[in-house]
Amino acid sequence: MLIFFHNYAMYKYDQFDQTLINQRVVQFKGQVARRIDGSLPEDEFKPLRLQNGLYLQRHAYMLRIAIPYGMLNSKQLRTLANISTKYDRGYGHFTTRQNIQLNWVELQEVPTVLEELAKVEMHAIQTSGNCIRNITSDPFAGVSADEVVDTRPICELLRQWSTLHPEFAYLPRKFKVAINGALEDRTVLLCHDVGIELRKNDTDELVANIYVGGGMGRTPILGSLIKNDLPWKYLPSYLTAVLRVYNRFGRRDNIYKARIKILVKALGAKEYSSQVEDEWAHIKDGDDNFTRLEWDRVAKHFTRPLYKNLETQDSQELYKQFELQLQPNEVVGFKRWLERNTKNHQVPGYISVVLSLKPHGTAAPGDATANQMTAIADLADLYSFGELRVTHEQNILLADVEKSNLLNLWRSAKLHDLVLPNIGLLTDIIACPGGDFCSLANAKSLPIAKAIQETFNNLDYLHDLGGLSLNISGCINSCGHHHVGNIGILGVDKDGEEWYQITLGGEQGYHAAIGKVIGPSFKANQVHHVIKKIIDVFVANRGDGELFIDVYRRLGITPFKQAVYENDALKNEEEPQNEWAI
Amino acid sequence: MNSTLINEQIYLKLITYKLGFSAQASTNEWAVLKNELIDGTLRVSDYLPSKNVLMPFSQWIEISSSKDIQERSLRGEIGVWFSVEDDILKYSDLIYAGKKLWSIIAIDFPIFRDGRGFSTAALIRQRFGWQGELRAIGDVLIDQLIQLSRVGFDSFELRDDQDLITALKQFDLFTVTTQNAWRAKRSLIALPERLETT
Repeated sequence: MLIFFHNYAMYKYDQFDQTLINQRVVQFKGQVARRIDGSLPEDEFKPLRLQNGLYLQRHAYMLRIAIPYGMLNSKQLRTLANISTKYDRGYGHFTTRQNIQLNWVELQEVPTVLEELAKVEMHAIQTSGNCIRNITSDPFAGVSADEVVDTRPICELLRQWSTLHPEFAYLPRKFKVAINGALEDRTVLLCHDVGIELRKNDTDELVANIYVGGGMGRTPILGSLIKNDLPWKYLPSYLTAVLRVYNRFGRRDNIYKARIKILVKALGAKEYSSQVEDEWAHIKDGDDNFTRLEWDRVAKHFTRPLYKNLETQDSQELYKQFELQLQPNEVVGFKRWLERNTKNHQVPGYISVVLSLKPHGTAAPGDATANQMTAIADLADLYSFGELRVTHEQNILLADVEKSNLLNLWRSAKLHDLVLPNIGLLTDIIACPGGDFCSLANAKSLPIAKAIQETFNNLDYLHDLGGLSLNISGCINSCGHHHVGNIGILGVDKDGEEWYQITLGGEQGYHAAIGKVIGPSFKANQVHHVIKKIIDVFVANRGDGELFIDVYRRLGITPFKQAVYENDALKNEEEPQNEWAI
Repeated sequence: MNSTLINEQIYLKLITYKLGFSAQASTNEWAVLKNELIDGTLRVSDYLPSKNVLMPFSQWIEISSSKDIQERSLRGEIGVWFSVEDDILKYSDLIYAGKKLWSIIAIDFPIFRDGRGFSTAALIRQRFGWQGELRAIGDVLIDQLIQLSRVGFDSFELRDDQDLITALKQFDLFTVTTQNAWRAKRSLIALPERLETT
């Protein structure tokens, strides 16, 4: 094994952070012991275990481990690999909330797992439950060319602020926060309970625009802007006001009406924000607010890694640098990979690389085996200062790669099936674990993803289609973000059978849009045929450089609908039900 | 006097945890008058001549001006409890006035996972500046004691099946915090060496 001693440019726990995490493990250990000896009944244990990321799934307990704002170091990833081997079945599932899930842990072993995690500054705090969840952010923070503000110091400050917050541990429902500081939004900001957009004001002061009441689920709504230019240090008191109004008046009579979006919708964004302002007026000048000292203590960890001065290398076209070194059978794959799986960096000579966790049909989207995790940790050590980030599209990002290392990186990653050049393409499917694992799901997600990936396995064709998002949720809880996929697939239950509803036109980012339902739903074995028909309409109608979403916007839903439902042929295409089983 | 109108929990488990002191088991001197037990035609004084009574705030609104209640308040025999449905900010005037008369305030948890009482408590402490005893009543369980004690509660009437020994151990589980609450400032402020040790 490779041994590196990186001084990771990410937050490092101090004694207080570490003490808190250790004490949380002790607390949970006691709760688990009381559950096992019977003194704590399941319905009273449930919210406690959920607040520590432990779900009871279809087959076993599932532990969701926090990866705060998506940042990991190689040591932490190796620990996750070891834990997944020792306490699970040798793999983990990276989620759309930048966390990782283990699907097969035993209740009595969870405290030990948490102890091992605590040793590498990790935990499972607030990855579930009706509380402030793990904060999601831009995986490209600190490196992307379109960055306005590096979000990581604020993410970390708010991680600390929200961790074990006593007033907001029993909210009406879960509460998800996203933070973006780039021109482009890569966090699905407008679909969060609170979206925090960080900017600089005219006097170069860090300020936040606050969006409230976005969400997916059965009532997809985009967040409303309720506050402009809030100076960063007021975030704790302002968010306290946001949450206090919600905690007091959010509905608790119906789980499906309990998210903050329903309250904001019922009151109107204007009335809601005025109630928040009233509350905030009483607390804004208190000592809840962040101080400059706290900023300095946290922000100093997010220094730039020790980049080399590589100015001169950038004059040359990227591919040309490697042309002579490539074997003939490497040319196409490497070229495509450069095109799809890399992203421009702020620093000359550097580039960000996305490792694809979306192989065509051979693993569930977002799954990584223990071997892959170890390999990724090695790659991070060799090529990216020992750091990596998890994207909400369920891939892994090496943020700081020297361009001259791209070919070596590609060759090494290829050995572990991590270089499929499909980032942002149709087969880069976002999917929840679905009915194969999740006890909430109406239908399976993974066989659908597999069938679509196999249908579009031709890479020439796939690349020719261009950027296109396809998201799958196994139920209306929308963990697979189907509402904001250009093509969305939702599992629904019809008289005990699994059916799939298809939506078109969803988008994430600042142009976020909720997809529209195309029509009646389909059986599992029809879905990939339907997707093919939809894609055929796009291909037949696209103009130069037009993406799927452009054609959809220009033509509307009708031609797609006509093509899909033009005759009843689909209904007759019965196939063996188990064909897509994995 | 109709004794069935007094809740039976008067004899049950109580923990007090005053600021600056350790948590301890205590004798409960307050009887909680439950909302559903009040007959509209009766006055509190009819059936509670000699007890310390925690009455529903909704009742207080109706009968607080009576001479009997005023006298008993001044003798330290009356406290009020808020339900999760009470919008306390709508009754600011009554609460500011009541603060001078009440010997204790309580907040009811109809079910342990209904978190409205946490914000009510924060407001009672932060907004109304209540310095006296603030008690959690109702479905008060071991595993919410830490959060309750942090937002402002300093006494806890445990549900009768809860183990008192386990409950008392909860308060020492954490020695640091990362956000301010009523009981303690975040460790950065309370323990400023945080800045020096990094």
